[in-house]
Amino acid sequence: MSFRTNFILQCLSSMAWAGMNWGLFKIIYVHTGEIGRGTGWHENEFFIFLGTIWVINSLIQTVFMANAEEFSELIRTGGLDFALLKPIDTQFLISFPRINWSQVPNGILGILLIIHSMQKLMQEKELYFSVFSVPVFVFYVICGAMVMYSVMICLASTSIWFGRNQNLYDFWFYITNFYRYPMEIYQRNGIGMALWGTFTFLIPILVVSNIPARILAQPLGTPWKAWEWGLAGYAVLGSVWSLWASRWVFRRALMSYRSASS
Amino acid sequence: MPTIEIKNLSKTYRVYQKQEGVLASVKGLFHREYREVHAVRNIDLTVEQGEFVAFLGPNGAGKTTTLKLLSGVINPDHGTVTVMGYVPWERENEYRRKFALVMGQKNQLWWDLPAMESFRLNQHIYRVPREEFERTRDELSDMLDVTRLLGRPVRELSLGERMKMELIAALLHKPDVLFLDEPTIGLDVVAQHKIQEFLKEYQRERKNTILLTSHYMKDIEALCKRVVIIANGSIYHDGSLEDIVDQFSGDKIVTLHLHDDGGLDSLSGLPNVMEVEAPKIKFRVPRDEVGKVLSRILAAHSVDDIVVEDPPLEEVISNVFSQAEEKGRQEASQAATGS
Repeated sequence: MSFRTNFILQCLSSMAWAGMNWGLFKIIYVHTGEIGRGTGWHENEFFIFLGTIWVINSLIQTVFMANAEEFSELIRTGGLDFALLKPIDTQFLISFPRINWSQVPNGILGILLIIHSMQKLMQEKELYFSVFSVPVFVFYVICGAMVMYSVMICLASTSIWFGRNQNLYDFWFYITNFYRYPMEIYQRNGIGMALWGTFTFLIPILVVSNIPARILAQPLGTPWKAWEWGLAGYAVLGSVWSLWASRWVFRRALMSYRSASS
Repeated sequence: MPTIEIKNLSKTYRVYQKQEGVLASVKGLFHREYREVHAVRNIDLTVEQGEFVAFLGPNGAGKTTTLKLLSGVINPDHGTVTVMGYVPWERENEYRRKFALVMGQKNQLWWDLPAMESFRLNQHIYRVPREEFERTRDELSDMLDVTRLLGRPVRELSLGERMKMELIAALLHKPDVLFLDEPTIGLDVVAQHKIQEFLKEYQRERKNTILLTSHYMKDIEALCKRVVIIANGSIYHDGSLEDIVDQFSGDKIVTLHLHDDGGLDSLSGLPNVMEVEAPKIKFRVPRDEVGKVLSRILAAHSVDDIVVEDPPLEEVISNVFSQAEEKGRQEASQAATGS
């Protein structure tokens, strides 16, 4: 926040992106009542999903994204040397040195969108949700953030072997393209199922967004099916597994660190 | 037990040899040529507690690589190192609380924030009690005369001021061992002198072990009794500064202040005359001939003053580096022929 104008512009830019995103789906819902027949993702349910995505995105971009990008640069320039000298866990140190506050408004907009959509849902369908849903939602958002963090750390760690890896932001864009939508849209044909399987079990990013959103949006409508309960359990396992894997990759990579000439 | 003990330490880098041009770049996507750089070769070294050792060598000699190995920043290919009983590359927190590395060409402070914020972060990371932290910070900033700059963003500091802040950041946790990699590089004479004085005073008070690399011989003369010379990744010489001058400087420089200009003509014919500025003459004499040459001159001329001194340290060290590099080349060529 040292550069005030830059900070304000970043806030405005991320909020404008959120506004356009909301506008696009508003237009889509003029043409259709539901994304995927029989999926239950009507307008209000979907906006809860969208709000959840904004919250997770905001969390990741506020806390991790700038640091993960910086990590690649630290490796290339040899700045990682100083992180390795400090008597503190190196992965922790490089993961959280900087908070990108300009991404916080996006998260606040996400929360407002969720609250607004839930209110509408309760009015229109006369449904109520349990207060218990909120802590469970928060828990699964944190699980989701852990998965995304792990993916980012693994990708950033590859810079140690490759010397340079500038694909972090691109990769983030590609991946968030898949996790921005309810997983039901993938479950209609072979290619969709392959994508669903890959991004659910191998790189579990679909569970990152779908489980917390479903906790708030779907219980209001339909009761959960057995596979949904399984998926909720897997989301916890997946986040623990992802964290463990990222730590293993990070430590292996550090053993190959060669620093940069001074 | 020595504070630093290095045995048979080696580190080799594999470096990509990029060819010029677009075609070569495309070819490089499919096939690459690499060269092995032996940054450190089978080094043995011991440093006792409280020593202030200079680590000298030409660019690319392996000085910084050795310091990085000692700090645990990189892992060696083989060999053993213990610093205060710890193996550096195991990166134990207990070890990392006891040493510091300062690199003159790299910045560890937050660029956009005042140095004070980096100091505060270090206080928490190194778990320095608040009162002790404030006392040390005030002492160090006072000694280096930067108290008024603590709140200024690092990017707005001059190179010399930034270097002083780097030193404070490295010393806040009172390390027992300090690795200094060219801490005075690029600084003006005043800043260099200030840092030299500070380091001298700091080491005298705390009796900590310091390894210093520098290309400024003034730093070495002012601070270090022991000098280790490294070239081509191997230690070429380990001894006192006087030893180096005695061993590697074949000549002495003699300056005579004659009583009158009359003798200058005959003395100008001496071999290795460096400067004639009547009634003074300056010339080089082989060390073992100084007495003989001077007695001959004194017998023939009236001399008001005589100064006999060693050649400048830069010149001596430059000779040592040349010899060391030549030796390294010969060894490499022999090894290549042998293989």
